[in-house]
Amino acid sequence: MAEAEKKIRVVLAKVGCDIHERGALTLMHAFRDAGMEVIYTGRYATAEGVAKTAVQEGADLVALSDSTGSMRIIAADVLAALKKHGAVDVRVIAGGLIPKNDLPVLEKMGVTGNFGPGTPLDVIIDHVRRVIGT
Amino acid sequence: MTKTRTDPEVCLDRSAGGIVRTELQSGLPVEVFYGPDDVAGLVYGRDLGDPGRFPYTRGIYPEMYRNRLWIKSFIVSYSSAEETNRAFRANIASGQNGLRLLADLPTQTGLDPDHPSSWNSMLCGGVSTYALNVYETMLEGLPLENIDYELAHSSISSALFFYCMFPALMERRGIDIAGLRGSNINDPFRAKLVYASPDFPNEVGRRVCLDLIEFGARHTPKWKAFAPNGVDPCQTGANAIQELAGCLGVAVTMYEELIEKRGLKLDDIGATVFSLDAESDFFETIAKFRAARRMWARIAKERLGATTPRAMSLRIGIRTSGLSLQTQKPLNNAARITLQVLSCVLGGVNSIDASSMDEAIGLPSTEARHFNLDAQHIITHEANVPLVADPLGGSYYLEALTDRIERGVNEYLAKIEKNGGMWACLESGWLRRQIEASRLKVQNEKSSGHRLIIGVNAYQGQEGPINRAIERTAYKVPSETARRRTVTAIRKLRKDRDPELFKTTIKELHRAAREGRNVVRPTIEAAKAYATIGEVVGAIRLAYGYPYDPLEDIETPAVVKEALRG
Repeated sequence: MAEAEKKIRVVLAKVGCDIHERGALTLMHAFRDAGMEVIYTGRYATAEGVAKTAVQEGADLVALSDSTGSMRIIAADVLAALKKHGAVDVRVIAGGLIPKNDLPVLEKMGVTGNFGPGTPLDVIIDHVRRVIGT
Repeated sequence: MTKTRTDPEVCLDRSAGGIVRTELQSGLPVEVFYGPDDVAGLVYGRDLGDPGRFPYTRGIYPEMYRNRLWIKSFIVSYSSAEETNRAFRANIASGQNGLRLLADLPTQTGLDPDHPSSWNSMLCGGVSTYALNVYETMLEGLPLENIDYELAHSSISSALFFYCMFPALMERRGIDIAGLRGSNINDPFRAKLVYASPDFPNEVGRRVCLDLIEFGARHTPKWKAFAPNGVDPCQTGANAIQELAGCLGVAVTMYEELIEKRGLKLDDIGATVFSLDAESDFFETIAKFRAARRMWARIAKERLGATTPRAMSLRIGIRTSGLSLQTQKPLNNAARITLQVLSCVLGGVNSIDASSMDEAIGLPSTEARHFNLDAQHIITHEANVPLVADPLGGSYYLEALTDRIERGVNEYLAKIEKNGGMWACLESGWLRRQIEASRLKVQNEKSSGHRLIIGVNAYQGQEGPINRAIERTAYKVPSETARRRTVTAIRKLRKDRDPELFKTTIKELHRAAREGRNVVRPTIEAAKAYATIGEVVGAIRLAYGYPYDPLEDIETPAVVKEALRG
């Protein structure tokens, strides 16, 4: 049954100079284990680069990981870049160290999930599937 | 639906069930108890020795903590230089006696704050110390000599640049730079393996690393310009054995090159510093510190030709595990930190930078820092732990475990040799794959319930007002106003500095790098002329034929082009 479905394509991204990569690497394996295609940008990516990758790879979803507390800025930049590249149907989820006050701001932008450290991986996987509508 | 979903009832069963694993954190299995047979091969004079005697298993000083306690240090780096200066003063009043400096993430990457990739991580993790003016403010009124400064920066360029801040400031204040004390990490393997630092390619980082060790040994003998780091590899997934083997591998590799190419002996360097991790596994952590000292003493003597006791001694600087700290029920982190610090004291380490209970939520708050200091004062003055050196020495278990770790480290080092040595293992990705395998093992154990993290995948319970207060007080992310102020400040600096002095010094730095001369003195002079970190990194990169910008987003700035042309 799963084989017949189109695989969910995820661009996993770390934008800027945050060096904390453990969360992203954990998710990369978790997404793959859940049968998704994952394109990981690595660290030091730019919002522009993430949007381009999402378009080139035909991604369904961009997953942003950041541990600096600056997700609000990163997400706004990535959403703007996606819009610029006409990729408005690409969904954006986020996780990492996200200040509580920023949660409603991110939700309002349309960035969902906003998972903190220690979130069970199946919760994140379920969320991706729900967002993509599979 | 899926079998990994956490069911609250399962946790209740676990709480009744007791121990769920019989392996240590690194995966070493342990017996129910240990006895004389497990230490039958141990020879006191050869394998342990009194404290202060080869092979220093029991500590590097005869009097250990009676004579001198460990340095109580932690990173203080808030979003402005003024705030950081105030925090230093408050912490010194609470008993901090080592100043550990860091910079924000872009600066450690080798980028100026007005680089397009700096904005979203600017001021995160520390001050944007883009040039000497920030150091002048940050260390205003603080002594520069006979106090221990520890520089914890990630990349080789930031080790170079921030070391150079001190001679620059001292010479400005008319102080002899030989009085500079402390250490920086300057570990070219950690820079790539953990941080993938884009500042310098390996060939450049390797050279600059040696330049710094050489200059440090010749001009600031109380400064340790090289401290192989195991903390950060552990935070990405390395276990205790991989950590210690990595540090020993890095030290041997860099010292052998130093001895061969720079005409220095290990005796000229004196003691070596390793920056090690204190994890939650109590006995494994203690045994690791003891094994580290013993192994280093033997390697220094037998492989690197050390002849003085000092050159055979390993000083251990600690950062307790940030990774072990949890966002859920942060009050529990106080227990984790206290146990980690206790393992450090029982293991005879020389400096401790304890993570803070609110660190998984945000940058540490001042009160959480002061708790760490108080915990250390309680361990000292109420629990009386440091009165006796190596108090667990002779324990059947601890001695057997120290041996077991040494054996594991030797086996891992042999694998590195077999795969072509440290550089080959870094460049082929072998080291990274080993660490990744360990990380995945831990991840799988956590999700299958074979490794319990209290408050996270077991005993979740309810958070009350104390936990919520910790969450609320954790230091907040720097505002966009503060970020804008930093961008304005660096642009103003570039306008206000002496343009001729900038040009001549940056040109001389570029020339020194191109001609293969030591770049430290030229970097000190460029720092005095208020060259920024991005400009220093760019000038060195250009000298080696690489583009100015490590991320290749921006062109060489006109002012640098002009300086190099002139």
